[in-house]
Amino acid sequence: MSRYALKFSKEGTMRYISHLDLFRLFKRSFKRSGIRLQHSQGFNPHPKMSFAQPLSLGYTSSCEYLEFETREPYGAEEIMDKLNSVLPEGVSVLSCEELPAAGKSLAALTEYASYEVRFPLDNRFVAPSVESDRTCVDSEPDITVLTERFLARDRIMITKHQKKSGKELEVDIKPMIAEFSGQVDNKIITLTMKLAAGSTSNLSPEAVLDAFCGFAGISRAAESEGEIKRTGLYFRDPSFVDTGKTSR
Amino acid sequence: MTLHNITESNRTAPGNPVKLPDISGLLDKLLMRVEKPARYIGGELNSVVKEPGKILTRFGFAFPDTYEIGMSYLGLQILYDILNRMDSVYCERIFAPWTDMEELMRSEGIPLFTLETKTPVNELDILGFTLQYELSFSNVINMLDLAGIPFKSKDRNESHPFIAAGGPCAFNPEPLAEIVDFFMIGDGEEVLPEVCEAHGRWKTSGAGRDAFLEMLAGIKGVYVPKFYALVYNESGAIREIVKTNEKAPDRVEKRIVANLEQAEFPVNFIVPYIQTVHDRAVVEIFRGCTRGCRFCQAGMIYRPVRERSRDKVMDLAKRQLASTGYEELSLLSLSTSDHSEIEPMVEELMAICRDNDVSLSLPSLRLDSFSFKVLQEIQGYKKTGLTFAPEAGTQRLRNVINKSITEQDIYHSVEQAIRLGWTNIKLYFMVGLPTETFEDLDGIVEIAKNITDINYQITGKRGRFNVTVSVSNFVPKAHTPFQWFPQNTPEQLGEKHLYLKDRLKKIKGVSFHYHGTEASHIEAVFARGDRRLGDALIKAWELGCKFDGWHEHMKYEMWLKAFRETGIDPDFYAARERSYDETLPWDLIDSGVSKEFLISENKYAASGIQSRDCRRGCIGCGINFKTSCTAQTTQCREEGTR
Repeated sequence: MSRYALKFSKEGTMRYISHLDLFRLFKRSFKRSGIRLQHSQGFNPHPKMSFAQPLSLGYTSSCEYLEFETREPYGAEEIMDKLNSVLPEGVSVLSCEELPAAGKSLAALTEYASYEVRFPLDNRFVAPSVESDRTCVDSEPDITVLTERFLARDRIMITKHQKKSGKELEVDIKPMIAEFSGQVDNKIITLTMKLAAGSTSNLSPEAVLDAFCGFAGISRAAESEGEIKRTGLYFRDPSFVDTGKTSR
Repeated sequence: MTLHNITESNRTAPGNPVKLPDISGLLDKLLMRVEKPARYIGGELNSVVKEPGKILTRFGFAFPDTYEIGMSYLGLQILYDILNRMDSVYCERIFAPWTDMEELMRSEGIPLFTLETKTPVNELDILGFTLQYELSFSNVINMLDLAGIPFKSKDRNESHPFIAAGGPCAFNPEPLAEIVDFFMIGDGEEVLPEVCEAHGRWKTSGAGRDAFLEMLAGIKGVYVPKFYALVYNESGAIREIVKTNEKAPDRVEKRIVANLEQAEFPVNFIVPYIQTVHDRAVVEIFRGCTRGCRFCQAGMIYRPVRERSRDKVMDLAKRQLASTGYEELSLLSLSTSDHSEIEPMVEELMAICRDNDVSLSLPSLRLDSFSFKVLQEIQGYKKTGLTFAPEAGTQRLRNVINKSITEQDIYHSVEQAIRLGWTNIKLYFMVGLPTETFEDLDGIVEIAKNITDINYQITGKRGRFNVTVSVSNFVPKAHTPFQWFPQNTPEQLGEKHLYLKDRLKKIKGVSFHYHGTEASHIEAVFARGDRRLGDALIKAWELGCKFDGWHEHMKYEMWLKAFRETGIDPDFYAARERSYDETLPWDLIDSGVSKEFLISENKYAASGIQSRDCRRGCIGCGINFKTSCTAQTTQCREEGTR
């Protein structure tokens, strides 16, 4: 039994397939590649395979992680080549790494995720709601000033809808934002952010986007326009995942 | 990218770049606004990409329901594979967009498109609908509308695709006779390539639209409705079917793949990204059925029984698993246990599945000692329910419908099942069967009660044991011995449901499910309808009917309104007893089973006499005059030895 982690990208139309769809895709790709996964014992065996952090439907990513156990050892290079030969365009393995046989799961080690959010700026940009002087340059928002002011507040409150109870909950997301900045280019806003991720604390980039747009008075052309890309996942103990070794 | 099937260089791994017309760009803006966007992206493993410029015949395989349902249909996988092996043909898939997507397509001006290349359907040469159930007919109309194609054959011209249809509902094609240009009757494996070849020749010849239809009329199994006129009596029944074109045959004989062993069967299934209804590898082990249940259309129209050998099944299963990576394998037929080599085949399949971390699922297994052994092994502690389909509550009525299962068979199997730890028993029945009385309904209640009693006797407990009684409504179908019988009215069916509900709810551990009477009524109208129904169908669509098979979408009042406004009496089709000498709308279609046989079976039903499973001796259905039939033996039908 050997344990591995691989880093892969999810792009193009593949962003329309869900977390569960992707799990099935990998399960079947392993089968087609001939790499035998270790299965759980019992009458309903499942392959021992899991993602570090689910990716929302519609997001692209350049840094997804999958960990899995195989029945017998394979070379990391071999795994990468075999999988890439059967994976669809839009999902590519970028690197593969053997993990120590025992250890915490990547999901448990996940601490932060970074995102890049791009969306076209609506022409109906209204001046920021804060009493201010020069946040607009040539009818475009001065995004640097706005992001600084956004972060400068003591608390950043959002309303979270709780699925289970159906209650609306006021939450301060400021402690969950590690980094946040933005720029405007050619009527396209790009926001980059590093947010808490994982099982203990998790913040969605859309929540930050809504809070920021509300704060800055930016209206998006259409809710569905624009794209969100995950650009990094950060683990508590980075020694487990040295992604440089077998990357191409 | 690795290619898993060397015979087709154009079978690709998924997601390869496709020429993207404008629709793709428009779609990208919409997909995040719909439920399950992956329904519309295509690019799945083993989907086929061809250069459309080099193609003579662009064929659209249209399934008039959602992606998840259409992709679970084996016929699509078989025919897609066969057509795309032809250099001159490109077969692409089209499904009914779900209502959220349809709304966006209409507001953004996106026409119905193919999944593979996002080509507007209107640009194809042939658009072929598979008709698996009558309740999908309104979706055919809706899809034509989304494609911008006129509904009626007579309103279409050179700028439109030919509209074709096949599948079990094509055995009574008449309700769609004014809409569909041509129907293909029977097995599609041979007729579809012949039709496409003819299309290629026609296209190169530059002849007019009718010339192609005349070519088609010369191909066995093709029905061109415009070459026949219907004359009606004052009563409304058909007086005569008049052939109006010499090139058309007097009767259209269904196509039969004589040798299933040599028939093409795909190993490179398209593997969907999203979960479909049947998301697994599947091998068809035989086609047809010898049991002769008198209500069952599939049992009549798919005759004769043709098997794939155990070796062939094993080979196909292995290659399909390798090509798709599926984690589940299933076998397909009308009655799995009837395969002549079922036991050694299942043993061998279990071994392969065990070695490859694949689970095996065996539908419609007859419950004998062998299947219990198998089920023990493949289900282990995670036992799903056991299903029995007695269909009728008394032996008398089971004799009428020719269902050979007895109550003793059921109780014997249930006893074994309970001892082995099963706690869920499902029972399927039909109500509204010919000659049915309330005594027969009491029989249903009794069977359910007896099963709970057996459980009590064995386990000493009444809790944690469930019997589910599911009742569907009998719909008389064309080409069956019951094709002359009236259907119960919705009111009669409703009364029977309530009768059962009242009695079954008193038994602890029994739950009761039944189908809506409204859908069954509409289904019955179309199952035995004629071409006068075409206008009612279009009217119903205008009134908002679509996805009729989806309970939440069935708009029964609108259907009744559509019938009223187009002068149709639904009872004329659903609730009227027909006489043997009435000309039936589907008499033009020769299913291979003779009308004499259907009449004799109808008469035996009326007197409650069973006919034997024809594996135990031919009973003279007539199919052996069309093709070789393994069930046929030297002995022929002898009265008294039935």
